[in-house]
Amino acid sequence: MVTKPQFAENANFSNGLAAVALFVVFAAIFLTTTFPEPAGFPQDASLVAGIGYAMFDLTGQSPVPTEGFLAAFEMVDIVLVGALVAAVMLASHESDRVKGMVTALTDGGSPTRAATEEHRSASSRAMPGDGEDGVADQSADEGGEQ
Amino acid sequence: MVPVKYYLLLSAAVFCIGLYGLLTRENALLFLMSVELMLNAANINFIAFSLQWGNLTGQVFSLFLMALAAAEVAVGIGIILVLYRNFKEINVTVPRSMRW
Repeated sequence: MVTKPQFAENANFSNGLAAVALFVVFAAIFLTTTFPEPAGFPQDASLVAGIGYAMFDLTGQSPVPTEGFLAAFEMVDIVLVGALVAAVMLASHESDRVKGMVTALTDGGSPTRAATEEHRSASSRAMPGDGEDGVADQSADEGGEQ
Repeated sequence: MVPVKYYLLLSAAVFCIGLYGLLTRENALLFLMSVELMLNAANINFIAFSLQWGNLTGQVFSLFLMALAAAEVAVGIGIILVLYRNFKEINVTVPRSMRW
């Protein structure tokens, strides 16, 4: 059941005063500083097209002044792929790390039918007094080693 | 046209809300959300100064920052998952040593 948001009572509100004080300092600085009138962009210029040209180093075709960002674009590409791989590695169990990657690619990461049957049989064999977590962990480990 | 100082004020407010979340809470998911708020405050600054100087560089930078924020969230959620698996909770004050 979805519950209503509740006010946190265990938060360290005294630490938060530092953030409030920082905002007061920021506000005092920003509101007292004078900036020149914004240059803005031409009314008929396409900013989206300009961003696209900037990302592929085609700055000569951009309707708005900009710089080339092809190298940064490629670096971000590599970082995103690295983050994806790192997230999958962190999310997979250590016992079935090698197999987990294959499972994630083949059936979306859901347990295979054999693992499910094995888990059910292990659960039915468990005595009522025994901890269920131990049985589940044991069956998961057995499934990972196969 | 809205003067740039009001954009800066909005950015400072968003940044300080994120900082407030970091300083007051101990939940790793809330940490992640607070860091996202701080990153978005930087985005607002980039776009405000892009408008201020009539140059698209700030907007392209903010686009890259969003991509990096997505990468950070992917790794962050993976770390939170490992945290929960090892400690059965996601309170960031509980783990006191790195294990491998």
